[in-house]
Amino acid sequence: MKVAALAGAAIAVAAGVASAQSITAEADLTAGVSTENVRAGSTQARLFGATASDWRFLSEISLAATSGHPSDAFNAAYPYTGRFHAMELFVEKTFHPSAYVVGFRAGRYRTPFGIYSRGEYGYSGFVRPPLIRYGRDFALSNTSLEAGVNLLAGLPQLFAETSIGVPSDEGELHRRPGLDVTARVQGYYRTLIVGVSHGHSGRDRALGDFAQGDARFTGFDGRWMWSGLQLRGEWIFGRPFDGVTTRGGYIDFAIHRRALGPVTPVVRAERLDYDAGPFSLFEHRFTGGARVQLLQWLTGNLNVIHQPHGLAANRVNVVDAGLTVSLRR
Amino acid sequence: MGAPLFVLLCLLSGGPSAGVELRGTALAGGKPVADAVIWIDLPGAPRAPQGKVVLDQRNLSFYPRVLAVQVGTKVDFPNHDRVFHNVFSFRDGKRFDLGLYPVGAVKTIPFDQTGLSRVFCNIHPGMAAYIMVVDTPAFVVSDRSGKFVLTDVPAGTFTYHAWRPGGEILNGSIWVYAGAVLDVQWR
Repeated sequence: MKVAALAGAAIAVAAGVASAQSITAEADLTAGVSTENVRAGSTQARLFGATASDWRFLSEISLAATSGHPSDAFNAAYPYTGRFHAMELFVEKTFHPSAYVVGFRAGRYRTPFGIYSRGEYGYSGFVRPPLIRYGRDFALSNTSLEAGVNLLAGLPQLFAETSIGVPSDEGELHRRPGLDVTARVQGYYRTLIVGVSHGHSGRDRALGDFAQGDARFTGFDGRWMWSGLQLRGEWIFGRPFDGVTTRGGYIDFAIHRRALGPVTPVVRAERLDYDAGPFSLFEHRFTGGARVQLLQWLTGNLNVIHQPHGLAANRVNVVDAGLTVSLRR
Repeated sequence: MGAPLFVLLCLLSGGPSAGVELRGTALAGGKPVADAVIWIDLPGAPRAPQGKVVLDQRNLSFYPRVLAVQVGTKVDFPNHDRVFHNVFSFRDGKRFDLGLYPVGAVKTIPFDQTGLSRVFCNIHPGMAAYIMVVDTPAFVVSDRSGKFVLTDVPAGTFTYHAWRPGGEILNGSIWVYAGAVLDVQWR
């Protein structure tokens, strides 16, 4: 089913490209280093566009690797395995009947749970994913992908989004085969955007026979923005499998003001409680940093991280730095 | 000016009060330039009626990439993507920050001062557009082949201006009459 879904999406994308009215190619090249003894390099290439009748398509591949100490540094939105990964590959169409919005997406896409789009991981200047979105912690994973259909309906002010498909994950977390369902409701009023998400899918394949049952998570997310100040956060709770619970979240704050020029300062506080008896993890992390637009095509990220306890394998204080070259044609 | 010359000028310009078409080409280094804005000063000219003006966000891009409007125009910024966008313009011209907004939502900004606004999305650094605000009803944006047509321009001698992304503003004088051609050229 997974192969069939991907093949269908690929054919649809190929048909879209063949008759495309506009096509854009993008590439991001990132190099980074962390005092946690991590070095990283990555490349992502995307091809997206629209047909004359406004069918949209997007395809993306990623090649990324880290060396040094095992860490979640530079894992914000892509797997760092040293291999090529096909990431998103979908077609979509959105309709605007009267004041409503109706849309669907078919193919392979990021799991629509909480704050989930690729751009939002990268926007805020953080080199690392939130702890709740780092698959190794038995929570969500930023590299979870669905092969299926995503439907959206409602008003711009309040709409529901439902994904029905099968897991098609990349990266460290790979869910067992089976039906995945993720539902999300989102509303906004003035400068406040809030969402509620619920997902039900198979547990991680890497778990042994001691783990039974499916993964189920519920989450709340919110964004508030005013005059260049942005507050953003997520809180999730649920279970990666029977008998254990995961809960946690993050809140981050970014300042995007003219007076700061190309610098966007960011701070984040986060926690993750993985309650699994003797295997429990209770993690906290605080991050301060900045995203700097050095040139139109060159961006720098600098993060200072304090992780007081729980991340025993890592250092308490860490500095991450990365440079990204972005090309578009 | 003698009567025969006046008659000749009237014939060439289509009459003393009727507007004419002014065609031209925008060139840079001898090659056609798309998305160049050309406008002509018409002191005292009435404001041109302008329908809904839209700078669309679709497919992680702004459409059009270059928009020209007359001062006082309200521009809609609809989000037709399924991801959030955050449109802002800080650098010069009209300064604004529309904040995050989702698919189907529309925000509107009045452009009440002349000049160039550079518009970006602070989530998607690849998105960029220009809005040139001019104080005249006679303006146009060149097409893919660098060509443009200004319609209903009164006959006479006027000052013109031209700008293109990455280029400086060119200024000059043009004698407008029926059949006149305006080629603007950047080195």
